[in-house]
This record gives sequence, C-alpha cells and structure tokens, in this order.
Amino acid sequence: MLALLIIVPLIVSSLLALLLGRHGKAIKYLSLLGSLGSLALVFFASENAAKAQAIQWFALPGINVNIATYTYPLNMVLLWLVGIITPLIFAYSIGFMEKNSEQSRFFFEMGLFAAGMMLFAMAGSLITMFIGWELLGVTSYLLIGFWYRKADAAPAARKAITIVLFGDILMLMAIVMIWNSYHTFSIGQIMAAPSQSLYLPLILIMVAAFTKSAQFPFHEWLPDAMAGPTPVSAFLHSSTMVKAGVFLIASLFTLYLDAHLLPIILIVGIVSAAFGAVNAMAERHVKRILAYSTIEDLGLMFVALGLGAFAAAILLFIVQAFYKALLFMDAGVIMRANEENENIFKLYGSKAKKTMLYATLFGVVSIAGIFPLGGFFGKAAIGSAAASTNIIAYVLLLAIELATGFYIFRWYFIPMREPPQTDASRIRGAYRVMPKSMVIPSIILAILTALSAGAYYYLPMLLTRAPYAPGSAFGSFTGAAPAINIADAVVETILILIGAYAAYLLYSRRRAPTLYTHRLLSHIVYNAPVTNRAYAAFAMAFSAVGVAVYKTDAAIYAVFAAIAHSVIDLGAAARKMVNGQTSIYVLAFALGMIILVMLFVM
Amino acid sequence: MQGILLLMTLFPLAFLAAAMLSGSRRGPAIAALSNAVSIAILAYAALSSGGTLSISESFSYITTIPISFSLRLNPASFMLLIMSYIVLLAASVAGNHEKESQKLAASLIILLQVAATGLFLSGNLFLYFIFWDIGVITSFFFLYSMGSPLRRPAAMKFLIYEMFASVLLLLGIITLYFGTPVHSFNIAYITANAALIGTTSQLLVFAFLITAFLINMGIFPLHFWLPDAYTEASTQGSMVLSAVLSKFGAFGVFILFAMLPIGAEAAKYTAALGAISAFYAAFLMFNHKDIKRMISYSSILEMGIILIGLSTLNVIGTYGAVYAMLAHGLTIALMFLAAGSLTHVFGTRDIRTLAGAVSRAKSTAYSFVFAAFSATGLPLTTGFIADLLIFIGAYAAFGFSGIVPLLSIVMLGAYMYFIIEKSILSTRKESEVITHASASQAFGYALLIGSILLFGILPFTLLGFVKI
Repeated sequence: MLALLIIVPLIVSSLLALLLGRHGKAIKYLSLLGSLGSLALVFFASENAAKAQAIQWFALPGINVNIATYTYPLNMVLLWLVGIITPLIFAYSIGFMEKNSEQSRFFFEMGLFAAGMMLFAMAGSLITMFIGWELLGVTSYLLIGFWYRKADAAPAARKAITIVLFGDILMLMAIVMIWNSYHTFSIGQIMAAPSQSLYLPLILIMVAAFTKSAQFPFHEWLPDAMAGPTPVSAFLHSSTMVKAGVFLIASLFTLYLDAHLLPIILIVGIVSAAFGAVNAMAERHVKRILAYSTIEDLGLMFVALGLGAFAAAILLFIVQAFYKALLFMDAGVIMRANEENENIFKLYGSKAKKTMLYATLFGVVSIAGIFPLGGFFGKAAIGSAAASTNIIAYVLLLAIELATGFYIFRWYFIPMREPPQTDASRIRGAYRVMPKSMVIPSIILAILTALSAGAYYYLPMLLTRAPYAPGSAFGSFTGAAPAINIADAVVETILILIGAYAAYLLYSRRRAPTLYTHRLLSHIVYNAPVTNRAYAAFAMAFSAVGVAVYKTDAAIYAVFAAIAHSVIDLGAAARKMVNGQTSIYVLAFALGMIILVMLFVM
Repeated sequence: MQGILLLMTLFPLAFLAAAMLSGSRRGPAIAALSNAVSIAILAYAALSSGGTLSISESFSYITTIPISFSLRLNPASFMLLIMSYIVLLAASVAGNHEKESQKLAASLIILLQVAATGLFLSGNLFLYFIFWDIGVITSFFFLYSMGSPLRRPAAMKFLIYEMFASVLLLLGIITLYFGTPVHSFNIAYITANAALIGTTSQLLVFAFLITAFLINMGIFPLHFWLPDAYTEASTQGSMVLSAVLSKFGAFGVFILFAMLPIGAEAAKYTAALGAISAFYAAFLMFNHKDIKRMISYSSILEMGIILIGLSTLNVIGTYGAVYAMLAHGLTIALMFLAAGSLTHVFGTRDIRTLAGAVSRAKSTAYSFVFAAFSATGLPLTTGFIADLLIFIGAYAAFGFSGIVPLLSIVMLGAYMYFIIEKSILSTRKESEVITHASASQAFGYALLIGSILLFGILPFTLLGFVKI
C-alpha cells in the first residue's frame, strides 16, 4: 500500500469542508469520517513490513526531488499517535464548535494540520519532511489566529509563525547543505553514511527543532498560542506540531550522537523544563498552565535524548500525547461551564461533572508521574537515566518533579471549589448540558492514558522490529525496556506526593488562595514577561538597524539627486547663453573670431 | 509548426486595434482574450514539442546590416511567458477597481503583452532592445496616466532611470556587435563565438549590460525609482510593472551570463550585490507603513535573491532563479491586486488605518495572507521550488555564504505577518460596511492563487522541459 494514501482521507475531507462552506451541516461528520479513514489506513500500513517508497516529484539535470515515505517503527509510532488522537479531537470539536458559524474554516484548517503532521511523520526524505513541517507552521498560524476578533489571538498567531518561520528557514539551509554533500534527500541514505559535513546542518536542524518544540529561548510562543480554540490547543500540544521537533531529533538520533551534540540538547531541555515548571506554578490562565507544562514535558524528552536514553524519550513521547490531550479537553469543559472564563481563580464547580472529574484525574496522575499510569514510566525512566549518568541533571529533574506535582494538583484542585451562591445553579446547569461529544472523547482518552503504561512493555518490540540505521546507539537498548531503577522511582514519587500535598493544603483547603500575589515569589517564578521583553528588545534592535539603513538610503539618494541637480544647473547656465540678446551673440561672435584668428596666426 | 512564434508575437496587434476601436467597457475583455489566446498558443507549442521545448524561427528583416527577425522558445522563456500572460490576464480582468481609463489600460496591457512576448522570445539582441523599449514606454504611460495623484513625478523618475538603462543597453549591444568576429546581433552566434571576443570589450559590454539590467530589476544601489513607481501606480500598473517589466532585466541577466564567458568572473560580485540588495530591502521595509511601498521593497528583496540564483552559473541555481521569476511574478501580482483592493475599499494605504480588513473584505484578506505564504516560500507554492533550487545552487557555487541571504526571508516574513496582524486581522475599527469581491475580482484571485498552487504542486510541468 502506498503510505502516502494515509493522508488522502484527511485532505479530501478538509477540502470538502472548504467547498461546502456554510451550506453543509455535514462538515463536522465528514471531517470525523475522514480522520477515521486515515486511522484505518494507518492500521493497514502497520500490517505491512517496514518499507521505503518514493515517487519522483520533479527533476532538473543533476537533481532529483522525490516525495519519499518510510514506514519504519519509529515513524509508525507517531503515525499511530496522530491517527488515534485526530478523530478524538475532531469528535470533541463537534461539540465545542456547535455554536460557531465558521465550522467550514475550522475543519478545513484542522484537517490540513493533521495531514501535515502525518506527512511529516511518514517522511522518508528531507523534502517530504519539510513539506509537512511547513504545513504545520502555517496551519498552526491560521488556527491560533482562528478567533482573530479576540484581542490576543492575532498577536499570538504572529508570534508563533515568526519564531517558527525562523526555524523553517534554518531547516531549509540545513537541507540545502546536506544535499550538496550527499546529493540525495533520502534520510535513510544520509543516516547510513554520517560524515563531518553534517555538523553544521545538524546544529541548524537542532535549533529548528527547538523553535517548533517551544524550547528555551524560543518557548514563549506556546503559552500565547492558547488564544486559539481549545481543540487546537489539545491537538497542538499532544500529538502534533510541538512533537515534531522532538521526533525530528529522535529520528536523527544516531547522527547527533556521532556529532557529540547531545550535551547541548540536554542543557536546552533542562533549562526549558525548568522554565516551564516554574511558570506553570504561578500562571493563572487555565490553559497557559498546561502550555507551560507542555514546555516542561518537551524539555524532559530532550533531556532524555540528551542523556542518550532514547527509549525513555520515546516512552514519554507516547504517553504525553494522551494525558495532555485529556487535560486540555477538561480545561475546555470547565471553561465552557464558566462562560469561557480563563482565569483559574474564577473557575468553579468541576465537581458537578463527575465523569469529567474522574477522567481528568487519570491525566493528572499520569502527568504528575504517579504509579501505575503511563506518565510514571516515562518520567521514572528519564530520572533513572539521569541518576546513572549525570547527577546535576538528576537533581534538577527532581526539583522539576516536585514542581510538577505541585502545579498540576493546583490546576486540578482550584476549579473544584464550590461556586459562589449567586452563580451556583447556573454553573451546575452548564455542566449538566455539556455536549456528549465533548465528554466521550475525554473518557476514551482516560482509558488510553491508563493503557499507555503498556507502552513501557511493548516499546522494545515496537522499536526493534527494524531499526532505521543499524548504528551503535540502537545497539545499546535493542530488546531492552527503558531502564527504571526502583529506588529512583520511589524518591520521585515521594517528591511528587509532597508537591501534590502542598497544592492540596494551599488551594483545596483554601489556606492561601492568593499566594501568587506574593511579589518576590511571583517575580522569581513567573518570568514570562521578562522573556517577552527580551523578544521585544531583539525586535527593537532590528528596527534600529532598519532606521540606520533608511538613513543610508536617503543619503545615497541625496548624492544621486545632487548629481542630477548639477546637470540641471549646468543646463540652466548654458541656457543663459541663448537668451536672444543680439548684443551678446555679437560679442560671442567677435570673441570667437579673435580666438580663431589668433590660433591661425600662432 | 513554422511561424507559431511569429504569430504569438504579432497577433495581439489585431486585439490592440480592436481594443482601440471598441468602447471603453469592452477593453478589459479584449485584453483578457488576447492573453488567453496567447496562453492557448503557448500550451499548444509545449504539447506539440514532444518534451524538448526548443523552437527557433528566423525571418529576414533588415538586409543592409544583417538583422533577422529571429525568435526562439526555450524552457526559460516558456516559464516567463506563461507567467506574464497569466498576470496580464488577471490584471486586465480584476485590476481596475476604479473602472477608469479602461480603454487605455486595455491597450497598454496588450502592448505590454507584445513587448513581453517579443523580448522573451527574441533570438537576437537588436529585437531584444526594440521590445525592451516598447515595454519601457508602455509602462511609462501606464504609470503616467493612471494611479495616485503623486504618480507623475514617479513616472518621470521611472522614465529617466529606464531610459538611462536603455541607452546603456544599446551601447552594450553595439559594442558587442563590433566585437564579434563576424559582426552579428544573434544571441546563439555570439554565445558560440564569445571566446573570440577580447577580454576588454567583453568587460565593457558586460558592464554596460549588467548595469542596464540591474536598473530594471531595481537592485541596490540602482533601486530608487522602484518604490515610488510601484507605490504610486494604479493597481494594474503595479501588477504589470512588478511582475512583467522587472523580468526584462532578470531575463537579460540570464542571457548575459550564458553569453559572455567573462560572467564567470563577475558572478561573485553580482551575487554579493544580490545579497546586499536582499538584506537592504528587508531592513528598509521596517520603516514603512505604506502597504504598497512595503510590497515594493519585498520585490527588491526577491529580485536580489533571483540575482543570486542567476549568478550561481549552475543549472540548478539558474533554473531556480527562472522559477523564482515565475513565482515572484505571480505572487507579487496577487499581493498588489489584494493591496489595491484594500486601498480601494478603505481609501488608504497606511497599514495603521487599514484595520480589520478580514471582517470587511474577506476574499481580499485571504488572498493577501496566501500571497504572504507564497512569498516566504511555503512548500506547495511556487516560492518553495524557487528558494530550494536557488539556494542549492548558491551553496554549490559560493559555500555557506551563499545561503545566508535566506535569512532575509525570515525578515520579510516577520514584517509581512506584522502587517497582516495590524491591517488585516486587527479589528480595532469594526465597520458595518462589508464588501463582497465582484466576480471579476474573484476571478483574478482564483487565477493567481490557482497558478501559484498549480506550479507549486506540479513543478515538473515546467521544469520537465529543462534538458542540458
């Protein structure tokens, strides 16, 4: 089966969504059907053995550009994730968007977004991958800015695409350089023959991955992206877009190992995770808390890659998709019941919807890393890897775990409070009429979150069926589960529970509901404004250069104008000689004659 | 079919006569039909060529000095012609929001069609010069008679620069004529015998011609006419000037590098000039609040990148640059069309007062956003193919410094998206007036967007003809 066919149902349904416009109420069901069709095709593709396929796209003398796909186990992991999450998100969107008149645009963009991610996931050549990569960039721009009437949506969309575009261009530079040394775009052929010439391209790709995966110092676009609709956030943070950067580094892992670039990945990952964790503790926006926690999760994946714990990174990669989608869906439900309020201290009554409350608990327990859900295995595997190789990283990871336990239970406990008397019946009523299409996907995700622990046991089988390039790095974990050290796991769990208990004391028992207003503390932990100011300073520097260039331009033009004017002045001077006064003509004639005669005489 | 190229060059004159004789309201339709017929002939020529697009024709023209009316169609000229016809078609149908001077505009568009056809097909430099001047004069009248109240000084400035360029062009051609062993204007002959021309006269010719071409392209430091001309022109004027006329110079550079061996030594300087131009324009853009002026600077930026591609002197970079000319033509025409429509609806070009276009003129706003995607090289648009090929060629020719100019595209994108946020997405000034694009305007957007996607998704339809 042609792997490229997998994205066809999604593309067809999204184009139909565009064409049907506002006439079709069927758009949402068609889109859901399209995503299920793609999922079915993912299933068929995984029945076949790993294989590479290529179709020529275009050629010039000396260059051949292919659309190539490669369905090897790591690619299939991502395809499965996107395939499973997409229909759930689409189903959730049906309820979420039921009152919105712009469903056509929404499902068109969502469909393209999912198709872009799938194309990226199955890519076997740099060009194919880049097409998916850029499609993600622009569709995420459109989706983040979907509610452009909201004051914060348009700036957020611009911030995202500006940062991501920078990464895209670096990536294109890297692709150009790699082609010139390998004369092929095929990832398989490049991985099979690592060489010194890859060093700079690998650095560029790494920075591109950091922009896409919202890592320090490019991380601030991700919290702002919360201005988009909640299904978009759930999608963007779980299986698409931000995962692309991590996946890219993972699929080129052996090259990074050979080029000794892993320490940089480790440092960036841990700094980002720390930034994410501290900001999440102080943030008040219900979705932005989760956004910062995504930065942390992605940072942890990079930490795992940086430590060489490939399997641990992939494990977290898999389980994070389920719990993060689930948490966002719950945030959407709570916001809807509270009149789209986003401030977590103004959200109440999540106890009123018991199914959601318990479903969400799966996500919370998983992200915190408490046994026996998926998150525990992912985070414990990373912790164990750090404990055995890099003690500084391990200590930092423990601190981050403590913070995670704190902020995620804070996020869970605060909306559980009873609503004020005046609003109580209204809010409870709103929870009661929550559309089923928003609740059922959450329940499915809760089950998947529980099942995702199984990835720990199945991962070796998934990854070792046919390694991409049989290099040294793959040898080290072939056939082995990601290592988890019991002692490390116990230490981590205790820290998480301390964090959770602190959150319980402070927020659920309402002993300190306004701790966040503590000045000094909030300045240390909530450093997002500082980052934004740094971005602004960077932009200002550019426009200062712009002013300088503008002045130079004016100066050069002044020189041109001066030359032109001197020509005109010359003309004006010459014109005076032909002013029609006979006496001057006679004078000139006489002078000329005298000069001529003198020339002849002499 | 012998004579097809001559037919393609001269048949629009019949449409020109028709446009001048018929009423004002028929003008756009006649100009559109003329270009549609050209596209059909071109498509026929391509389909009947059997995969190798190479047709040459020669007719006796002037016999006292041997100048023949020789025409040749090759893949590069094919790409530029198809772009020119599409843009001229879109401009004639959709470009005239104000519905003023329709007859004149239609006539000028057909005249420009003749100029573009003759220039891109010309097999000798004499014809090249003649059609160049037809193009310049036509554009001057376009600029002088339609556009903003400030158009006349801009038109004069344009004329002075372009006339200077055309004098240099003539000087170069004549010098070359006397430099060749058997005096000739024929490009194929000169290319074959260029090694016999002395280095000094080669250098002289190269200097004359490249200066002329760079003025036309608007490369730093010869760009001063460009922002004024593109900004003050009417929508149609901006479209045809930026998409079609600027390619005259770029196509000239393409021919020049293929013709004179001395180009190999000059290439690194022209590439540097292209790179400087790209960054220079990117920085200048930051200082402007006028949407059309900003698009003009983006044109300088793209032309700089095209110059880099042409300077690589390898097949990939050169044809990347030709593809970039196609991409740039379609994209900038779409951008000017959308910007012109915004200007017409809102009565201003200032991005600070264009607030909220998306809720008031939807299709225009979407078209502009799409054009921004294409300009920043989004895959599946023509811009990506162009950027990819140009910079692969540039890395092969100049190493890492060759691909640094890609960063100017980040700046272009950053500013584009800034403009979109401020003038299109922002809803600071909600108004009840909602304009729906007229059928002709929708056709223009659809044609340009469709072409950008068509040649972005199926690039082999054009690049497949390139065989060395």
